[in-house]
Amino acid sequence: MQAVKNLYFKRTGQVAWYAALLFFSYLMLLITLQYIPARRDAAFLLTKFDVVGMLHYRIAFFAHVYSAMFVLLAGIIQFSAAMRRRYPAQHRWAGRVYAYLIIFITGPAGFIMGIYGNGGWISQSAFCLLAVLWVIFTWKAVAAAIAGKMQAHKDWMYRSYALTLSAITLRFWKWLFVWLFQPRPMDVYHVVSWLGWVGNLLIAEVLIYYALKKKRNKRVERMLEAA
Amino acid sequence: MKSFRILLYTVPALIFLQSCGGNMIKKKTGDSTQSVTVDSTPKNQAAVIVVPKANTNLTVNSEQDLIGYWVGLFKPDTTENVILTGEQVAWDFSNKINISIDSISGDKIIGHSVVAGNVRPFKGTVSKDSGAWHVDAQEPGDDKYDGKFTFAIATGDSTLAGIWTANKKIRIPHRKYRLTKKIFKYDPAVKMDQSRYVDWTKKKTKHVIDKEADYNGYDESFFAASWDASKYNASTRLLTKEEVSNLKKGDIFVIRNAIYARHGYSFKNQQLRAYFDKQLWYIPISADVKNDFTEIEKKNIELLLRFEKNAKEYYDEFGRG
Repeated sequence: MQAVKNLYFKRTGQVAWYAALLFFSYLMLLITLQYIPARRDAAFLLTKFDVVGMLHYRIAFFAHVYSAMFVLLAGIIQFSAAMRRRYPAQHRWAGRVYAYLIIFITGPAGFIMGIYGNGGWISQSAFCLLAVLWVIFTWKAVAAAIAGKMQAHKDWMYRSYALTLSAITLRFWKWLFVWLFQPRPMDVYHVVSWLGWVGNLLIAEVLIYYALKKKRNKRVERMLEAA
Repeated sequence: MKSFRILLYTVPALIFLQSCGGNMIKKKTGDSTQSVTVDSTPKNQAAVIVVPKANTNLTVNSEQDLIGYWVGLFKPDTTENVILTGEQVAWDFSNKINISIDSISGDKIIGHSVVAGNVRPFKGTVSKDSGAWHVDAQEPGDDKYDGKFTFAIATGDSTLAGIWTANKKIRIPHRKYRLTKKIFKYDPAVKMDQSRYVDWTKKKTKHVIDKEADYNGYDESFFAASWDASKYNASTRLLTKEEVSNLKKGDIFVIRNAIYARHGYSFKNQQLRAYFDKQLWYIPISADVKNDFTEIEKKNIELLLRFEKNAKEYYDEFGRG
């Protein structure tokens, strides 16, 4: 009975997780569409008038905006064990798209944008650090996969995707704080530029820790059984 | 069969996304390059208004001392409900008026009035008795709000008092006023006094936690600008992007319109009028002041509009800005 109950909770949790991901990905798609066609004064760029004249900023901005959607989508299916078992080839291909986009395009572009970020050094340092860690974690995960270290690959991908999802959580926190407190715009921006990804990373570390603990317990059980 | 099942899941999911997502990201209507509209100037601007060669005598002793701006409240002479925000009177339908006497020759008097974004010329007659000058003047009559002024200015005094009667049936057909003679001089350094801009057409719900009063609940008050609105002066220096980017929409709106007020812009917008009419220095002199802006003000307006538009579209949305 307990097992059935557990399975039920797990299933509900999974459905909620994918529904939320899909919902927020759709919102991200709407945001991305604001930048098609590419215009210098579209949406967020309206507040970037002081840097939008620089070619490298524009290249970084549009590269980031257009590639981010694919990164987000490629990541969604990667964490399903069933998908990995049944379609290992697709897992590898989606993984390549995800990792190489982050390492070579979305991540470095995010770093350049971070240098010119709104809100001064507080948010600029947050965004630059986020971009650096994102690339490092993703690279670590790829290297682990190539070396055949599957547990390390999993752990680093948890961290990498936690940072990927900061695109969603940052915007969600901002929406929530405005809804609750109507703060000044840059005050809330300072807070979410850090909270948006540090929170996710903490959750990823907790998940990794508990997965490790569970694995250890199983090993102990097996050893006890053997003994 | 399998594809049918996929459809069974995806169609409701898409409908759900469409309906929910719309709440967190508003549909942008129209072209986003279009700028936020400034309190607009009327298209049918009345005949070219002659600015009087202001006589600097504020006490009236000779006929020439009548010439100049007479400023004060244009009050309803009827019982009209006031607009309340909570217990406070937000607006009592009074508007600051500027009756400008432009020229006098013989018994003929020519002038214009500026009130509520409406600039109207008038013509009439002036007569003098032992204690005062008496004026009867008529507006052209081709505007819905035209009417007739009857006022007197006492000798040796500095008040102009009288009544106004509308030609047509309008909501407030009778008004009264006691005006004083003022000299308009553009002063960029002029500051807003401690009153707050209130928009009684907008309600906001704000979560309030007050530890001292032991109160934790919701404050359903009317929208009011914060103290930031009177902290920044966009006429004396260039505001920085850092400053403006951390201001809320309502405050930016007031800071921007304060530039207009300093130049004597007469506001059509009721809420702005109620706010600026309270400022003692404020004298409405024109319905179009765009050509009077200094370079600093033009640059600041551009910056303020940018963030006002950004705040309007993105502040309470799922997004960055």
